[in-house]
Amino acid sequence: MSDPTKAAGRTGAGGWWLVAIAWTLVGIPLAWGIYRTLLTAAKIF
Amino acid sequence: MAGLLSRERTVAAPGFNRWLVPPAALAIHLSIGMAYGFSVFWLPLSRAIGITQPAPGDWKISTLGWMYTLFFVFLGSSAALFGPWLEREGPRKAGVVAACCWSGGFFISALGVVVHQIWLLWLGSGVIGGCGLGLGYISPVSTLIKWFPDKRGMATGMAIMGFGGGAMIGSPLADLLMRHYATATSVGVAPTFVTLGLVYFVAMMCGAFGYRLPPDGWRPAGWQPPAQRSAMITARDVHVSRAWKTPQFWLLFVVLWMNVSAGIGVIGMASPMLQEVFGGKLIGVTAALKDLAADQRAQVATIGAGFAALISLFNIAGRIFWASLSDYIGRKTTYYVFFVLGFALYCSVPFAGRLGSVPLFVALVCLIITMYGGGFSTIPAYIADLFGTKFVGAIHGRILLAWSAAGVLGPVLVNYLREYQIAHGVPGAQAYNTTMYVLAGLLVMGFLANFAVKPVAEGHFMTAEDLAAERRLAHHGP
Repeated sequence: MSDPTKAAGRTGAGGWWLVAIAWTLVGIPLAWGIYRTLLTAAKIF
Repeated sequence: MAGLLSRERTVAAPGFNRWLVPPAALAIHLSIGMAYGFSVFWLPLSRAIGITQPAPGDWKISTLGWMYTLFFVFLGSSAALFGPWLEREGPRKAGVVAACCWSGGFFISALGVVVHQIWLLWLGSGVIGGCGLGLGYISPVSTLIKWFPDKRGMATGMAIMGFGGGAMIGSPLADLLMRHYATATSVGVAPTFVTLGLVYFVAMMCGAFGYRLPPDGWRPAGWQPPAQRSAMITARDVHVSRAWKTPQFWLLFVVLWMNVSAGIGVIGMASPMLQEVFGGKLIGVTAALKDLAADQRAQVATIGAGFAALISLFNIAGRIFWASLSDYIGRKTTYYVFFVLGFALYCSVPFAGRLGSVPLFVALVCLIITMYGGGFSTIPAYIADLFGTKFVGAIHGRILLAWSAAGVLGPVLVNYLREYQIAHGVPGAQAYNTTMYVLAGLLVMGFLANFAVKPVAEGHFMTAEDLAAERRLAHHGP
């Protein structure tokens, strides 16, 4: 069996592109939600 | 051949990037986090027949509010019941079942709205959706902890942050959808439920299929477990069936129960407290809330809603901040901070009210709420430190029953204390003070439980034979 420390450790540039896409997909709705909440929260100031 | 959802098919191929797992977990937690935002449906549903105003036969808001109780009772129960199954079958299958339950709950609720049967809403969103909440909540925990042995707190903090943030997306989205679907004869809730069910199903399935398990023995490239481990972090594993028989399990249960009960108490009363304590001062008028004109009261209520929104932001910020910090200062110390600093802050809130300082009051409550969120996100790493990573999801599921217990204790304590004081002539604005001191007392109990947490006794850990038998059960092959 291969060394488990290397089984999923190193990642090529393609892997990081996928990471960026995945984070963007969850980040956009989250950022929209935070923006909407900030608009409401701003009324306290 | 292994099924598409099986544990074996979930093991990561060489070259897989572990940073793909947190967004998968977030996709699930952001979806189920909408449970917190369900109150957005109460007003439209309370006039589902009358459309513009409640008519005979329309549901009362208090009747609809039972959904929250069902959510959190079934979240805790299903997490406790199905945790061991999740550990055996893997996170993907659990994520898919969670997606079916959570989305299916929306579809059943939509039917309930169309035929106007409240039991269908309770069964759909409350019971079936609640089971989806429990499974979805614990599904990424052990996977993340295995991928991030060097940053356990941060990894689970990222996912559990999503549960706090779900309502931030879901509530305004539901509001937009209801406006879009509303007609002269419908408040638009049923098609909104169907749309949300479809959206959440797609998001959660993407999350479930994004889950990957690291191969056995995997560790991050270049990372070595510390040569000198803290006595509070074990490298071995306790079986879930054994864990709940240890004092450490029940001490962590009390730690979470007390932290969440106190936090729920503050969340429930923070906005009305701000409005009643400061009254007209919030809009630059020297008068108590009861003496304000209707339009001034509306202005104060708007500020109260802004405060509630600010609280939810600090809730999610605390989830990632405190859990990440716990990687550096240790879990036990993190909970000490929650209980010691928390005690000082809870006791200071009435002082800020007497001082008449709105900024100080807001700052104190926001800081308190970060520690409420931090309590949720730090507990999985605390469990992994004490009981090992093998059954962390299942043990976490059982400890989440403390959340269900807190859902009863926190609101009951706050509501009954307030009613008792007002019945005995205490002015409304001052009735909050005693409640804050009682909630601070809960933190003292949490502190004592945390103080008593010691490493798990040697005899509770699994032997090599136990681990081999468990591996066979978990479909790892002979």
